This record gives sequence, C-alpha cells and structure tokens, in this order.
Amino acid sequence: MASTDAPSEAPTAAASAAAGLVTAPGDQVPGTPTLRWSARAHSIEEIELELARIWAVPKLTAVDGVEERHIAARTSVMNLVVVARRPEMAEHAAAIIQELTGRHPSRTLILSSADPESRSWLDAQIRAYCVLPREDAAETCAEQIYITAGGAAGRHLDAIVAPLLIHDLPVTVWWPTEPPFQTQAAHDLLDMADRLVVDGSTWTGDGLDRLAQMAGAMDRHRISVSDFALVRQSRWREAIASVFDLEEFLPYLRSIRRIAVTYATHDRTGAPGSTNVIKPVYHVAWIGSRLGMGVERPLAPAAMPKVSKPTGPGAKPALHRGLAATLRGSRSEVAVVLRPIESRMPAGTTLRVEILSERRGSELRADVTAEAETVHVRVWVDGVAALERAFLAARRTEVDLLADAIEAGGSDPIARDAIRFAARLAG
Amino acid sequence: MTTTKEPPSPGASPAGPEGPAPDESPAAAPTSPGAKPGRDAPRTIREIRLARQGKRKASTKALDNPLREGLRLERMPDPAAFVLFGATGDLAHRKVVPALYQLWRTNLLPHEFMLVGLGRRPFEDDTIRADYRASLDKYSRVLPVDEAVWAEFSKRIVYHHGDFEDPATYESLSSRLDKIDQEDGTRGNRLYYLATNASAFPDIVGQLGRAGLDHEVHGGGWRRVTIEKPFGRDIESAVRLNREVAKVFREKQVYRIDHYLGKETVRNLLVFRFGNGIFEPIWNRRYVDHVQITVAESIGIEGRGSFYEETGASRDFLQNHLMQLLSLVAMEPPASFDADALRDEKVKVLRAVSPMTPDEIRANVVRGQYGPGWVGAEEVPGYREEPEVEAESETETFVAARFEVDDWRWAGVPFYLRMGKRLPKRASEIAVQFHAVPHRLFTDAGTDPEPNLLAMRIQPDEGILLRFEAKVPGLGVDVRAVNMDFTYGSAFNVDSPDAYETLILDALLGDASLFTRADEVEQAWAIVTPIIEAWLDEPPPTLPNYAAGTWGPPEADELIERDGRRWRRI
Repeated sequence: MASTDAPSEAPTAAASAAAGLVTAPGDQVPGTPTLRWSARAHSIEEIELELARIWAVPKLTAVDGVEERHIAARTSVMNLVVVARRPEMAEHAAAIIQELTGRHPSRTLILSSADPESRSWLDAQIRAYCVLPREDAAETCAEQIYITAGGAAGRHLDAIVAPLLIHDLPVTVWWPTEPPFQTQAAHDLLDMADRLVVDGSTWTGDGLDRLAQMAGAMDRHRISVSDFALVRQSRWREAIASVFDLEEFLPYLRSIRRIAVTYATHDRTGAPGSTNVIKPVYHVAWIGSRLGMGVERPLAPAAMPKVSKPTGPGAKPALHRGLAATLRGSRSEVAVVLRPIESRMPAGTTLRVEILSERRGSELRADVTAEAETVHVRVWVDGVAALERAFLAARRTEVDLLADAIEAGGSDPIARDAIRFAARLAG
Repeated sequence: MTTTKEPPSPGASPAGPEGPAPDESPAAAPTSPGAKPGRDAPRTIREIRLARQGKRKASTKALDNPLREGLRLERMPDPAAFVLFGATGDLAHRKVVPALYQLWRTNLLPHEFMLVGLGRRPFEDDTIRADYRASLDKYSRVLPVDEAVWAEFSKRIVYHHGDFEDPATYESLSSRLDKIDQEDGTRGNRLYYLATNASAFPDIVGQLGRAGLDHEVHGGGWRRVTIEKPFGRDIESAVRLNREVAKVFREKQVYRIDHYLGKETVRNLLVFRFGNGIFEPIWNRRYVDHVQITVAESIGIEGRGSFYEETGASRDFLQNHLMQLLSLVAMEPPASFDADALRDEKVKVLRAVSPMTPDEIRANVVRGQYGPGWVGAEEVPGYREEPEVEAESETETFVAARFEVDDWRWAGVPFYLRMGKRLPKRASEIAVQFHAVPHRLFTDAGTDPEPNLLAMRIQPDEGILLRFEAKVPGLGVDVRAVNMDFTYGSAFNVDSPDAYETLILDALLGDASLFTRADEVEQAWAIVTPIIEAWLDEPPPTLPNYAAGTWGPPEADELIERDGRRWRRI
C-alpha cells in the first residue's frame, strides 16, 4: 500500500499535511520550486494511484476564515527518464531537474538499481514540485518519481518506465554516467526514447569506443542525441565560424590542410587512452561534417620521434604526441592532430584549435584559444596578423546544459552529423 | 583590422584547386537575363557552364559559410560601433541602453562593441556613463544591475558632443569612429540609431551622407541606420522621408523600428500560423467570421501632451502597430522566412485594404477623446486637462475602425481595430472569431453554442486562448463554452526578451524581418491618411466623448453592433 511521508525538506509543513500535501500554496516564493507532495509506493499500481491522487485531491486552504479551493495545474512538456544507477547520482540529477521545474516542466522518472542478487523489489518516492512564476500567475507543477529497483526488476528498467510515461509526450533519457550501449537493458530503454542526453566528456578512457557505440545507437533507435560535451563548445563553434564569415577568408575554408586540437591531460605520459578526448574529437568532427569531408584514416596514436629514454630519478617521460588522423577534403587531404599537453585544466579540456589552410600559394592560420570566460580568435594570412576577436563564453552549468538539450526539441542536424563523423573518426 | 591582399597563384595548374584558370575559359557569358550576348559570347549550355566555371562569383555572404549552418542561435553580431543619436534623451535611457546592457549581460554582443552616444548636451564620457547607470536602476529588465557586468560594459560607452545640424559634428564623428575602428576593433561596422525627434531624421541622415558615413566600402564594414517611428505624419511626408533616406542609404541598410513587431507574441503569431498545420486551413473567409484587434492602454499621455497633440491615436497607433498586426494576421504564408519574402506578403495585405471614401469613413471609423474619470482606484483628469494640451483640443485618444481586406482569402471578413488611451485596463490582443455552427443540434441545451474563438494576447499575460464548446457534466445535454488557455508564463518560465533587445540584436545581425520596409510604411499611410483628411474636413464629434476608465465612446460599440457582433470583453 502506498504511504504518504514527509520529506526532509519540509518537516513542519508535513506534520499538518494530509493526503501527501506538504506545503500550503500560500507559502511559495515566486520562482522557487516548492515541494508540494510526497508519497511512497512499492509497485507500479501504487505509483499510478499516487500520481492520480496528487491532482485529484483538492486542497482546501482557509484565508481569513474563507475556504478556498486550491487548483494546481500539472504541466508537462515531456517525459524525462534519468538513469542514475547510484543514489548520489540520483540526488544530483534531481537537484538539477528541480531547477528546471518551471522552465521545462516534465514528468521525471529517476531510476537506480540496487541489490541485483535479491528477489525483485521496487521502492518509489513520488514528489510534486510547484513553481509560482509570479505573484499573480498560476502555479505550474511537475512530478518527480524516484524509483529504486532491486533484483531482476533492476535489470528491466524499461518495464518500469513504460507504464509511467505520459502518452504523446516526447521521452528524453538522460544518462549522466556511462550508458552501456551494448546491453539489452540499454537497447530496451532507448527503444522508447526520442532523445538521449549524455556527457561524453565524463566517460572513462579516451571515450572513443563508447562514442562509436552511441553513434550506432543513435541510428539504430532513431533518436536525437544531446551530448553536453558538444553543447559546451557552442562558443568555440561561433568563434571558428566567424573567421570564415569574412569574404576574404571564406575561400580558404575549402582548402584546409590541417586541423590541430590541443587538449589538457593530467597523465604524465599523455599516452592515448589515458585521457578522454571526446571534446577535441568533436571540434574536428563538427568542422569535417559541415564541410562534407570524409575520413581517410581514423584516429591512431601519432608516431613518436626517436628520443633517448629519460634517465635518472624524477626524470619526466616524453609526452606522447597524441592521436593523428587524415580526412579527405573536397580538394586535398586534411591532417588531423589531437595533441595532449599537461595542464591544470580538467583533463580532456580543449586548449587550442588551430586551422591551417593553403590556397593558391597563400596560407591562412586560425588560432582559437580559451582563457577564463573568453574565447579568442587570431588569424594570420601569410604570417601577417589579419584578425583578432574575442567571444565571451560564460561557463554553463549542468542546469543550462540540460535546458539546452531539452530545448533543442527535434533532431539537431549539427549534433547528429558531428556525432556520426566523430564515430567514423574514432574508427 | 589589417589584412593582406591575396597573392596571385604563381604556377598554379590550369585545373588547380579553384577550377580552370580564367584565361582558359571561354569568353564571359552574359549572366543577367536581359544582357545581350556578344559575337563571341557562349550560347550553348556547355559554353555558358564553362564560362561560369571560369568566373569568380561576384560576392560571398555569411550565409555561404558552411560552418554557419545551424548556428543561428549562437550567432554573435559582427564587431560594431553603435552610434546613438539622441543619447541623452528619454528613449535612450528607457529602452535602448537597458536593451544593450541586457544583450551584453547575456553575452549576445561582440567583445569588440562600442556605444557612441551623440547628443547636444556637453557631457563627458563619465557623465553619460553615470547617467545610464542611474537609468538602469529604473529601467533594466533584470535587477539588481550586475556591477561587474556593468563595469565591463561601461568601458565601451563614449560620448560625442555635437549638434545634429552642424556638419562639423559629423566630421569629428567620422574621425572618432575611424579611431574606434583602429583601437577597439569595430572593423568599420556601424549602426546609426536615431532615437531623436522625428523632425531631426532627414537632417541626420543627410549629414551622415554628406560626411560619407553611409559608405559601405568593400571589406570596410557595413553601415546601417535604425529609425524610430513615426515615419512621417501622412502619406506625403512619409514618401518625402523615405526619399530623403533613400538618397543616402539603400533600403537594405535601413531598419525602421516598430517595437510591436519585436514582442514575443507578435513573433509567435508567425510561428503559430505557419508552424502549425491545423490552423492555416481554417484561416480564411470560409471559417472566420471576423477579426478583432485591440490595443487598450490604461495610461494617459504620460506628460507627452505636446507630442500627442500633434499625433493622436491614428498616427501613434493605427498607422503602425495596428496595421502591422492586421497584416501579420491576414498575410499569406511567405515562401521563406527571409526578410523581404515576409515583408512582400505583409505589403500585399495592406494593398488589399482599400482606402475609404469620406462617406465610408463616417460609417466605419470612430474617434474619441477621454474625459475625466476613474481608472482602477485612481481619479484621472480628462485629456484636455493634461499638461501641454489645448483646452479645445480635437486630438483623438481613441480610434475604432472596420476594415476589409479585399483578397481571395479574406473577402467579406471584417477586421475591427480599436485602440485607446485611458481604457479600463492595459490589454492588447488579436481575436479571431470563427463562424457559428450551421445547425443547432443540441436543442435541449439552455443556451446557444458560442462560436469558437482564438485569441492571441499580446500583453499582459502573453498567450493564446482557444474557446470551444463542452458538455456540462450531468444527465442533460447542456453546452457551455470553455477555454483552453496557454500562457507563456506557465509553459516557459523564462523571461521573454524585451522587444528592443530583439530588434537591436536583429539589426546588428542584419536581419530585417521584423522591421518595416519603405513601401509598407507608405501603404499603411495610404490607408490612414484619408481618414485623417476626412476628419479635417468636417466638424469633430462632441469631445470628450468617453470617460476615462470606459471602453471608448458608444459609437465604437455601435460600429460593431450594427453588424450583429460585439467587442470582446477583455
């Protein structure tokens, strides 16, 4: 049987709550999501019952002795399924989603599994958060359902998700950790999804295998993919594109000979596989896909120069030269280099993108770097400084990134093409 | 910016990376349709193709940059100097500078951006900065003002003192802008924003031309001019102003602001109409009974008596905002979302609105002026008691009109437009009323079913409402109208940008879709000027003819009621 409980956020209100309502409507601060309902359930039927109760029970509040019926409207623009796996990840995701309650109200299912060897069990907490956009506006509410599934049930999350989706609304699956694309569970879950949200820059190793698997899943399940790693680079893309907005530089775009991306590593050797290279790969993939290039030779460890081994205590090993690939442009081959540099910046962060283009004996070199919250572009033509620009690029939080991913709506051809290209580049 | 000239290609192979060398290609083909081919000119398709291959394309645009594809939302304007004429005026403080600050705050302006305020007052750079900072506390959409952001933005504000009529002002402005280009990297891109009295427009534009500040040199940056309404006082002055502007700037350099077009709901009207498949098929005379467009203001003239005395509701609202809304509701789907495609369709609507004869004006247009009354809980004076207003003023503060759009889609569908000051509340909306059902089926129902209605609220509570009939729960078959109500505030809990933010950003990006073209302005005046002329030829009604806080004169109700319809209760 479902039970109503009081969440830790609102202990006093919960004491007087009936039927799961924990906060009276009058307590709300405009713009701040407020927990308005919390209940527990242990089966899908109980969850459905609780969801129905949230909106069916009218709350009578007394104002100056006059009873008022409080009407809260559930608004949902989509179903958001979060595969959190671990409880702390679930809490983190929930906090981010809560921030989006007003902006993108969704029915959110946060899934985690536990105790795989036990018999099947399910524990769910159903919460409703409401936001008052302004003092004089109607409030909007959205539901969050935390589900922990144990035993075999934890391996069939799709069976839990399917009955709880609001029909006719798009389904977005947010996988904050590493999606196991090759498992049946992931297949089943992505089968019912319209969009997958991931952060490829957090994947272990260099991330390239998983990137290729993701591109496969994207086509197989016909889903759109929003990768935070790609979304974060929007200002870089703007900066790079701006170079070729200029009429005099545009012809060089078709004559690119080399793209070099320098990224941060914390590994002393910088050896391939030691650092996630999803972000650097996306830079190349975006340029390659927009310019209709092909992959001639996929990424492989760059040849190391023959140098004598470091000797003596504390001697630093030579930093690896990274990965190299060759693209096929419309007129010539394009060399690609992803080069690690030891840096205090988060591992895998792009430090520099260099584009070298040669056309009719003239050479254009574009150099894009980031510093604090600014992306700088410098261009030289035949060694002469020709352009310098700066683009403000405020650091975006996970809330912003998730909002961006959700707002993207339908298929984003830029992301789709870049991911496909990146997968080919990964080999 | 320093650029190096592209060197020739020594030793480049004839079939090099850029195709056949020019000297190898056949003689140039006439590419324009009207050009006559010469004796040696290519005639066959093959010859023409080869000739074209050998020719360089005349120009390339930002749109040709394949890296731009899909980056519309991320696009940042080019580096630019924003030259604000009337920098010390009310519009600059209330709207333009708060909009620029907001764009800067949200990283939508380029790093290489300079605001050059130009005014008659002998200010220093620091004076104008302090002035604007104080205004932001009053008029910024997002408060408190972020001091770090302001500190960075204010570095980009400078003041240029000068008289708009004095040629020396423009000479010194030209030198200063050149210097700014060099030092601040604005690359010769300039947006001249005229936030001055309309009477100064021709002078400023003419002086800009005389000083060569309009010239777009190849690779030397773009030049645009933004003009605030009113665009003329009548058809004649509008044509004259357009002619003056056209002497200096090409039409594609001119951005005429009607801030209504920057409002979120007005922009959403286009998305609503052309982004949904279900409404367009019924958006015509077969299904639509009539359209009502209301712009109601509860405020009076807010101390602008002398301005309003010269304008009145017809010039201030009917000619621009209401006509723009009418054209957006009635226009055909444009072939693309390109500025000219959009404006072509809007102009067609205005052309389909036949100017009225004096008799038709008497029958179809009502003017009013408010007297004293109560708005909200406040007693307010009548228009004639407002400062700077003549005691015998005949200026209208209310106008209601019935127009018809004589085209295939709308023939016979009346468009009722009304606008007024000191009405009971501030509310603007477009309401599309559909025909009633042809046959009353639910004869047991206590009331007749109401026709369906689609209302698009522009302000406040921007949103869309669809009214339809539903069965009242119970054993009988009673029918009642219910509303399906979408409000922006609840569906998207994010602030909509101010219209000025939208429009200024668009002007900097070179997107003229939401700006009014010269022929649109003239066409709108061609509709409104006969009305104003007719009023001049006959004695006015007894004014004031409506009390502040009411919905206008009784004649406005009669105007619509004689057609068997009613104004919507808003």
